[in-house]
Amino acid sequence: MIASIGWHPVAASSDLPTGHVYQTQLEGQALAVWRSAEGEVNVWEDRCPHRGVRFSIGVAVGNELQCQYHAWRFASGSGACTHIPAHPTQKPAAVIRATIFPVIERGGLVWTRVAEDHSEGTVPLVRDGVVMRALPVNRPAATVEAALLAAELTGATFFVQPLAEGQSVIRGIARDEASLRTLDSALERLRRQLEADHAVI
Amino acid sequence: MDPILWNDWHVVGDTAALLHGETFATALLGVALQIARAEDGSVGIVQSDGVPVLCDVRYGFIWACLGTPMQPIIDVPELAVEDMTAVIGGAVSVHASAGRAIENFLDLGHLGYVHAGYLGAEPETAVASYNVETLPGGGVLVTGCEVFQPNALMDNQGVMIGYSYKVERPLTAWFQKILLDSGTLVTTAYLFAQPVDEDHCVAHTLLLVPGSAYSAADIRGYQQLIFLQDKPILENQNPKRLPIGPRMEIPILADKTSIAYRRWLAQLGVTYGVVREAAGVPA
Repeated sequence: MIASIGWHPVAASSDLPTGHVYQTQLEGQALAVWRSAEGEVNVWEDRCPHRGVRFSIGVAVGNELQCQYHAWRFASGSGACTHIPAHPTQKPAAVIRATIFPVIERGGLVWTRVAEDHSEGTVPLVRDGVVMRALPVNRPAATVEAALLAAELTGATFFVQPLAEGQSVIRGIARDEASLRTLDSALERLRRQLEADHAVI
Repeated sequence: MDPILWNDWHVVGDTAALLHGETFATALLGVALQIARAEDGSVGIVQSDGVPVLCDVRYGFIWACLGTPMQPIIDVPELAVEDMTAVIGGAVSVHASAGRAIENFLDLGHLGYVHAGYLGAEPETAVASYNVETLPGGGVLVTGCEVFQPNALMDNQGVMIGYSYKVERPLTAWFQKILLDSGTLVTTAYLFAQPVDEDHCVAHTLLLVPGSAYSAADIRGYQQLIFLQDKPILENQNPKRLPIGPRMEIPILADKTSIAYRRWLAQLGVTYGVVREAAGVPA
């Protein structure tokens, strides 16, 4: 397992088909993740600056994300508002923009960071492999990371996405397709164990 | 507790949904209520500890006030107009503050998208300028809104509609729709947003349609269709409470009504179900 500082995977590249806006969280920050028609991946705060509607119920149209409420459009990359249908002939004010987070797509995963104080961190150099099914666990990231280290699973590199208070997602890159089933079963057992340990009886 | 909302009347149910001899559980401003309709038809409301709550039955709705009413229940003058079909549109629970529901009811910019094909349509999405005034007793009056609606009359014929809006009580909104070319009244509608708690409301609507061309079931069905298009939007707004402080959400010219509504709530001193400051945003 590789512990990454600040940067975490928040989606698999395959979670982002054309037009779709993927919803997730990192350290309690709600995120909308989407890929433009040109292939650029965006990680944005999941909230339209106009009336607070989640971007993740919107739709990606070409190189823009369109909010579901008033159909304001925001540009891939910069997050700048490009079109407001209520005032179609006016150029939107420059202050109107989505809150964007840095993105790196590597190893079939989409990486970002939301905490300001981790500017020194980097995305680990991962070997190419097969991206595993993401596995949510109702336990804190530190607990899950410790359990993964103790489990000494081989054949894959694992990353823990701290979702929100007490919630994590295990993401992994397996060396080959043949080991997927065994690894997935091992992770399932780990999850059951972790959640059972914590269950209030 | 917010004295403005605490001492106001709120709709907490409709009489048609409350059978004689049965009780109905709801909540108002975070206070659990039991509404009971006796065999003789009379309605009573108690809190969970049995303390009675001031209540009234009017316009087909059950009203409650937890404090001391500062004003009587809002007047509905349209009910006195002859040959008016009055319909209660149903009660819809929404996981959003009452203020968010009221603001959405007053919003022109979403009609062409959230209600596409009914109350608006692309490419006619521009919101023309309109007038916003302050009512003499406080509150918001909006006039001169002109909107193309592809199916405002349930006949799939596009018409130009004129809207007026009014907010006289913090959680009650009113609109009137007329046909722009003839001035004929189409619909008057009231939204009574019941503040269940700070993040939940129940939307109660009253529709008033002149004549008898439309059945009560048709009117109710249309209203519910429209409102259920709004519900997922409302439930995906963050924060759930209405931001009424400056610089918390970015309005545009088309949002003049919303700006006036938020400002009025702030001036009144409403604190329940609203937020005045976002984390990291100076007030």
